[in-house]
Amino acid sequence: MVGTFVRLKLRLIAGSLRGDLIRQLGFGFSIFAAVVCALFGFLLFSLTRLGSAELALQIGSSVFTLAVLSWMIVPLLAFGLDETLDPSRLALFPLTTRQLATGMFAASATGAWPIASLVALFGGVVGLARGIGGVLLGLVAVPLVFALCLVASRLVTTALSGALRSRRGRDMLAVAVVFVVLLTQLPNLIINQGLPSDSLAVFRSTGDALRWTPPGLAAHAIADGGLVGVLDLLILAAVVVLLGWLWIVALRAALVRPDASNQGGSVRRSRRGGLIPDGKLGAILAKELKYARREPRGRVAWFSAVAVSGVMLFSLRGSEGMSGFGLVVGPAVIAAIVIGVQSSNTFGIDGRSLWMNAVAFGTERDLRTDFAGRQLANFVISGPLLAVVSVAAAVLAGNAGWAVPATLLAWCVLGLAMGTGSVLSVISPYTYPERMNAFSGAAPGQGGQAFVAGFGALLGAGLLALPVVIPTLFFGPWVSGIAVLYGAAVAWGGRRIASRIGFRRMPELLAAVSRPT
Amino acid sequence: MDEAVRTRGLFKRFGQQVAVAGVELMVPKGSFAGLVGPNGAGKTTTLSMITGLLRPDFGTITVDGFDVWADPLNVKSRIGVLPEGLRLFERLSGRELLLYNGQLRGIPRAQVQQRAEELLRVMDLVESQDKLVVDYSTGMRKKIGLAAALLHNPDVLFLDEPFEGVDPVSANTLVEVLQRYTASGSTVIFSSHVMDLVERLCDWVSVMSRGQIVAQGPVQDVRQGRTLNEAFLDLVGARGHGDGEGLSWLGAR
Repeated sequence: MVGTFVRLKLRLIAGSLRGDLIRQLGFGFSIFAAVVCALFGFLLFSLTRLGSAELALQIGSSVFTLAVLSWMIVPLLAFGLDETLDPSRLALFPLTTRQLATGMFAASATGAWPIASLVALFGGVVGLARGIGGVLLGLVAVPLVFALCLVASRLVTTALSGALRSRRGRDMLAVAVVFVVLLTQLPNLIINQGLPSDSLAVFRSTGDALRWTPPGLAAHAIADGGLVGVLDLLILAAVVVLLGWLWIVALRAALVRPDASNQGGSVRRSRRGGLIPDGKLGAILAKELKYARREPRGRVAWFSAVAVSGVMLFSLRGSEGMSGFGLVVGPAVIAAIVIGVQSSNTFGIDGRSLWMNAVAFGTERDLRTDFAGRQLANFVISGPLLAVVSVAAAVLAGNAGWAVPATLLAWCVLGLAMGTGSVLSVISPYTYPERMNAFSGAAPGQGGQAFVAGFGALLGAGLLALPVVIPTLFFGPWVSGIAVLYGAAVAWGGRRIASRIGFRRMPELLAAVSRPT
Repeated sequence: MDEAVRTRGLFKRFGQQVAVAGVELMVPKGSFAGLVGPNGAGKTTTLSMITGLLRPDFGTITVDGFDVWADPLNVKSRIGVLPEGLRLFERLSGRELLLYNGQLRGIPRAQVQQRAEELLRVMDLVESQDKLVVDYSTGMRKKIGLAAALLHNPDVLFLDEPFEGVDPVSANTLVEVLQRYTASGSTVIFSSHVMDLVERLCDWVSVMSRGQIVAQGPVQDVRQGRTLNEAFLDLVGARGHGDGEGLSWLGAR
């Protein structure tokens, strides 16, 4: 049964790569990244050997805990790393829950990133073990931590899958997850406010506390290498079994829970209809504004943009080394990047409905209007938002006059990110999964493209920003007057190039965002 | 006889599998045409290529004399499409969907509003016009999809399985609207599995099997005295597998 599931997963990955060069390249890149992460993770983790035994244990506990936490959170948030099977697909097969659980467990261990994290975790054996006993225990402890990662990750996604599947639940959860992310920023914020001055001491006390968490027990077991270590591992194994049992319970519940997402109410007719101009651009603008409000992904995107700018506002304030104008412009520019990068798969939100545009667009100009409408809708929301962030930052920094150049610079960066995002939307489009995961991610096998799109948008916007950043550093804030024109020009050029490529590639574009998930 | 749709040597391959192998489809103007064939015959692939949603490997397609891939502007303003699977812009209400579609095609807002209201009334969707499409039932989706496809008054309408999963009342509404539409000289081409329906509605039928057109013409000519269902089974060569050897265990206790 385990073999069947592993083969199924491998075949799903292989099948989604067939006959598509860009996807194969993206996949190759993601494999490469996984290998690099595995090797570097292993090496870095091994280097803890050079420190004192106490420090090594603190680092080990922290790394193990971090691994488990990121396995729980990253599949919910990050781009398409989680390509595991949807349990509800398998509900009709005559499988016992136990078979289903072991099978899905094996399937989630299959893949480049799971193997990479296993390899990196094994660095802990080198780093922590102080004797033959430690090495032996480590060979058990690391797979146990890995199992804990998988089980915890599966438990989180399965427990939330019911909510993730219903429309309303998804909307609620979307916002809730942004709060979770905000909470993870809390320690960072506190540290940045400069309460304890010695950050190493803070880290050490955290490490000491984490030593008592299940992953910390594993680190301690390797470092101890004796009978206490064995006891640690027994407790850890019990925790893994307990979580596994909880996961099975959640899975059983998720498989039989009905989908109650179809009892929707009516929407109000827009009263602002008169404000939006008649015509194609107006139609696209109105639709995009509605989607930002009604589509859960749209809500998450905007909510996280607000959250990120809020966090930046407070965390940059306390940090050393940045002063004056940098402090004012930093939060707004980072918020602009976060918002702009979201446009790097602009057709993904339309997904399989994109054909409605495709059958109506007879010329390249129509597609350009589409891009313009999307960028305009984005700016209608983010323009004021970035202005508010800039004003808040300027007031906090004690120089309200800086709000104007900061706003203009943020708008410039937004334009750069939207311009590169438009081009990436037609070069590396991918499908957002429809059910499992409302936050991001891509259809099976398209993780590589998601990575190329997200990373490419960051890189492109970053490079294009250099001609603005460098003059600003030399000549001061008032360069921003030209910068905003530059940003608008890049957004215009981006949508021009994108529509030229996109109109020719329309059938391929449709296929890429309409993949089954 | 004027041709509404004409394909020559249309060919499409997905990996190893040839989905459409040289389709020579012809539909005269003003006809109510059915495209029938077993599952996997290539109906959906053919319709996708004719409507410009899927790029053919080889072959040419003309709609009203315009080449679909060389002159998309003239073709797209003349056709209405209702594809299979039916994903619409789910987060718009039915009414908003129609307004969006009409404006996207360059029709002034006032005119779109008037047409949308009439279409919603005819399709019996007035009560649910402000509900999100994501919450619509299959029948309601097909109706709002058809309304969106008719909004710009196309010359040729392509419908992929318009009656699948639709309740009898909605199906009847769809049929009435379509009959009124062809009576005015426009062309409807729809794919279907339901032979009785094709026989009742259509004056022209094209039969597909394994990626090719095996028969095409006025319904009487294709039937040749048989029912359309019998003619179809003969044409696709699919008779006599259900009662022969094998399956002896099925139903045995």
